[in-house]
Amino acid sequence: MAAPPRASSSRAAVQATNDDASASKLSCVRKGYMTDNYVQYFVRRPVKRSPLINRGYFARWAAIRALLMQFLSQPSSKRKQIVSLGAGFDTTFFQLNEEENAPDIFMEVDFLEVTSKKAMIVAACKEMARHLESPVFAPEKGEISSEHYKLFACDLTDTARLDAVCEKADLDLSAPTLILAECVLIYMDPEASRALLRWAASKFSNAVFVAYEQIHGEDAFGQQMIRNLESRGCPLLGIHDTSTLESKMNRFLETGWKRAVAVDMDEIYNRHIDPVERRRIERLEIFDEFEEWHIMQEHYCVAYGIIDENETFAGFGFSQISSES
Amino acid sequence: MSDLDRQIEQLKRCEPLKESEVKALCLKAMEILVEESNVQRVDAPVTICGDIHGQFYDMKELFRVGGDCPQTNYLFLGDFVDRGFYSVETFLLLLALKVRYPDRITLIRGNHESRQITQVYGFYDECLRKYGSVNVWRYCTDIFDYLSLSALIENRIFGVHGGLSPAINTIDQIRTIDRKQEVPHDGAMCDLLWSDPEDIIGWGISPRGAGFLFGGNVASAFNHANKTEIICRAHQLVMEGFKWMFNKQVVTVWSAPNYCYRCGNVAAIMELDENLNSKFQVFEAAPQEARGVPSKKPAPDYFL
Repeated sequence: MAAPPRASSSRAAVQATNDDASASKLSCVRKGYMTDNYVQYFVRRPVKRSPLINRGYFARWAAIRALLMQFLSQPSSKRKQIVSLGAGFDTTFFQLNEEENAPDIFMEVDFLEVTSKKAMIVAACKEMARHLESPVFAPEKGEISSEHYKLFACDLTDTARLDAVCEKADLDLSAPTLILAECVLIYMDPEASRALLRWAASKFSNAVFVAYEQIHGEDAFGQQMIRNLESRGCPLLGIHDTSTLESKMNRFLETGWKRAVAVDMDEIYNRHIDPVERRRIERLEIFDEFEEWHIMQEHYCVAYGIIDENETFAGFGFSQISSES
Repeated sequence: MSDLDRQIEQLKRCEPLKESEVKALCLKAMEILVEESNVQRVDAPVTICGDIHGQFYDMKELFRVGGDCPQTNYLFLGDFVDRGFYSVETFLLLLALKVRYPDRITLIRGNHESRQITQVYGFYDECLRKYGSVNVWRYCTDIFDYLSLSALIENRIFGVHGGLSPAINTIDQIRTIDRKQEVPHDGAMCDLLWSDPEDIIGWGISPRGAGFLFGGNVASAFNHANKTEIICRAHQLVMEGFKWMFNKQVVTVWSAPNYCYRCGNVAAIMELDENLNSKFQVFEAAPQEARGVPSKKPAPDYFL
């Protein structure tokens, strides 16, 4: 039973979005949209999602994975680092490692309630733990430390604690770093998300910050989305601050990032996803939700900001990933 | 009060019938539907409704706005089931009304009135959940095969769920289809249920993988050849509830407000008076308090 609508955000409800996302990802995996051999360990009761939800999660996964692979394949004399903020039960590290594509450092942070569960599940799961070199598990602290993978508990509004975990993870602040925040900033107060972006821009000297989240809270679909998520107890606190693609870009430029790009998911799906893959997944299920699909995809975007000293990230981004022949 | 009237009252409260009652109702409905033409004649005045998709309480809102059957004569353009939480109650109420007032309500088939589609989009799972077996789904999907494919209002307005087919030039050609089967993957019957109008010239390939896209010149040629004025169809969500196209030769009517409890759209029904003057009634989703006692609050999916 959903809680009555509340103006305030419930920490537990925001964390519950994580379970929902894992269940949706597993639904995709089981239908053959993508390969992820690890998300199954985070879902207690598998569910079957509608084709629209499956396709949308695929689109998000493909868009983010394309950016990750582009980042990881760029030549660099220094090591590569990925920092996943509000990572939840994301399994990207484990899948990348299985595919021998993992970066030198993969650090994840989230609320203690989430990371302690994640630490427990990984520790108890041989198939996952085998990807960790000399791991130390501390579920009570919500921590895993290993050679390449690091997990820490941290409230993203606490930048002092973020400084501390970066140090613990032994991050090289000048090495190329991709920071990822999927459906994270949007649940934060605008001041807090901007403070986080400002912190990241001042902390790293060669970084790209990739955010996937909602836009267009102003139209009828957006209004309904705001109401529906509010009644779940996880209001989109940031939606009005950055409701358009332009404002998503400006948020980066206003918080110390040098360049910024924002593209909605409808365009990303049509123009920046491998057409062979697209054709493959479009045959997986009967799909009869086209109007809704376009509306839904127009209400999500990927936005990224770049900061680099020596044009490390020159040419990085969707302009490099075109599905048009 | 007859059993049927009692069942209608029960369904109006969103209480499903017993499995044995569903079976009996479907048998009676079959006797009526089997006599209907592929192009069912409908008299004006009539109120035309688009997709409902199991949104029972919103359909009650529709009847509140449009008037009760049989006082109001209704034409429903299909897609009664799937997506919403109450496909069973929604379809059974419409079917019971059809049996009770066969001349005051016309139901034609939508692309979701299909065994294959309902297994993906919810009706199958809902039947299994509510009855513990798939018998009710079987009775209902067997009835789907008997639903008419189109309607012709006073010989001037052609009603269909999806749209036109390159295999069909005249309405007479529709009359020759053997409709009593599952919706095929291609051909005239499939196209009528799946096609969409689009701003193109001629025909185009549909992204849906079934049916076609048809342009304004195609709609024009059809209306001219059949001496009709308007092609009235449903099938596509339109945020404003209805949408005219091609210089008022095609209209889309959409009757599921806040579709999937997620889209934030309004819905519409199209009222035609005895002279076929049209008027749209636009309505919103039923308010929360009208959605019955502790009805489970819908939690629509997003990308979280």
